Amino acid sequence: MNSAVFQAATLSGRAKKAETAMPLARSKGRLRQIRRIAAREFGDRLRSGWVIACVPVWLGAIGLTSFLGLLQIGRIGVQGYERTVVSLLNLVQYLVPLLGLLLGHDLIVAERENGTLRLLLASGVTRLRLLLGKLLGGWLTLTVPLVLGFAIAGTVIGLTARDGGVGPFVKLAISALALGLVFVVVGLALSAFTKTRVQALVTALLVWCVAVFAFDLVALGIMVSTQSAEAAAEIELICDTTHVNAAAADLHAAYESGGVEPAERDMSDPAAPAWLALNPVSLFRAVNLPSQTGVRVPAPTLGMALSAWLVIPLWLASWRTRQTDF
Amino acid sequence: MNTLLHISNLTKRYGAVSALEQISIAIERASVLAVLGPNGAGKSTLFGCLLGLTLLSGGEIRFASTPARDRDRTSIGYLPERVSLYPHRTVWENAVFFAGLKGYPPEAIRFQLERVGLGRVHHRKARELSKGMLQRLGLAIALCGAPELLILDEPFNGLDPAVLDRLQAILREEHERGATLLISTHTISAVEPLATHALILLNGSPAAFGPVDALRAEYRHSATLEELYQHVARAHAHNAEVLA
Repeated sequence: MNSAVFQAATLSGRAKKAETAMPLARSKGRLRQIRRIAAREFGDRLRSGWVIACVPVWLGAIGLTSFLGLLQIGRIGVQGYERTVVSLLNLVQYLVPLLGLLLGHDLIVAERENGTLRLLLASGVTRLRLLLGKLLGGWLTLTVPLVLGFAIAGTVIGLTARDGGVGPFVKLAISALALGLVFVVVGLALSAFTKTRVQALVTALLVWCVAVFAFDLVALGIMVSTQSAEAAAEIELICDTTHVNAAAADLHAAYESGGVEPAERDMSDPAAPAWLALNPVSLFRAVNLPSQTGVRVPAPTLGMALSAWLVIPLWLASWRTRQTDF
Repeated sequence: MNTLLHISNLTKRYGAVSALEQISIAIERASVLAVLGPNGAGKSTLFGCLLGLTLLSGGEIRFASTPARDRDRTSIGYLPERVSLYPHRTVWENAVFFAGLKGYPPEAIRFQLERVGLGRVHHRKARELSKGMLQRLGLAIALCGAPELLILDEPFNGLDPAVLDRLQAILREEHERGATLLISTHTISAVEPLATHALILLNGSPAAFGPVDALRAEYRHSATLEELYQHVARAHAHNAEVLA
């Protein structure tokens, strides 16, 4: 018997002992695979520096926005929560969808390109569990720095500005997490439909451009040409990206003059238009606009839109992976 | 009934190209099936279908009495032809991750790493491993949890003689334990001492299938599996010429 065979033979006794104990060690929970895939995904991003790098980015972005947000009206200094939200809206609506898509676009296609997807699926992981694990891992990667950024910067703002009205700021943070989740799901779906990482990245950037720029411009054009002047004014306030800075400046000016909204922004109908549900970025913006603007998104509309934006891309990704040879 | 796998009329087409055509075989429990054939014969596609990685164009696969789609595949060990793992993670981390997906604790994979001779390099990154070492790591992952079915796609590729010996010994142990082994290979001499059954695939169809002894008796001039394979391939080519 040569040494190799000898080693295998001597190990067999221990191996048998371990393997007879195996069935007892099996976890019964079906969430086990989802949890493990999510933990690996998050761990890999943590090691790559993604998470660590995002924390100071968010801290800096929120802090600077709070400190310099009044430049438009010729002032600097830390603002209270509500006014920081007005200044932050612009940044969050651009950055969070972009980060969500950047995190989501390669969740599946990268595993496929690296050749690890076959081994993953051959390990008894169903396609749906793979998607859910990847989604959870991707979302955690976005959520951890975002929560840290909001929590630390929020505390500093509260202490510095001596502001106790943290509600709008918390609402912004929670809706930003939801917005991030939606775009990670959309990225995941793109990842399931594309064959290479480059293809996925290009598609993701196109989706981002549509969500944050093109949708608003097209919607504005349609509304102005077909709806009443009142509706056009409403959409201008909510989504005209080319006027967001001006809108923020108007709102800050209104705060300075006693919190009264400029007359042309006054909404006679408090309900936000239904088309907002078609674009999560517009919905996010409408949810976080100050109460003085009169824009209010009914909870059922918000719930249904959010559910649809989570379920439909996930279902599409699941359908696609079930139709694909790996 | 001692059959582990029932494959009936299995067909896989990629557009107009037929990768597998009407394969109907039954694989006995605790057998070692050598799946032989030239490149593109459909060996990896067959394995992909068994593992649920490749969608069937037609036919059915049943594990004992359970349709393959309803089968929990955590009791199947799979070694792909090209072992791809997470390169920036260590041997240990990769092994624990895949073992964990199947529900096994780290102790389970520790035995297998030692068994394949990687116990001392568990801290090395996967990207630092040679092809042979990666192959062994893939094998350790496949062996974790004493699977009842082991599907090994070209397991002998790129192994030096000492490692080949060790691998054969491990596979023999797995067979003695009662596992069913499906091994595709071009290194027919390596699978020869292990194989109890053989499936020769040519152009996506089974040209020969059965116990090795019965096939040897059928093809009288075949002393070895290699000769048997050559014999079947020549006969198949001759029949194709006649039909043409």
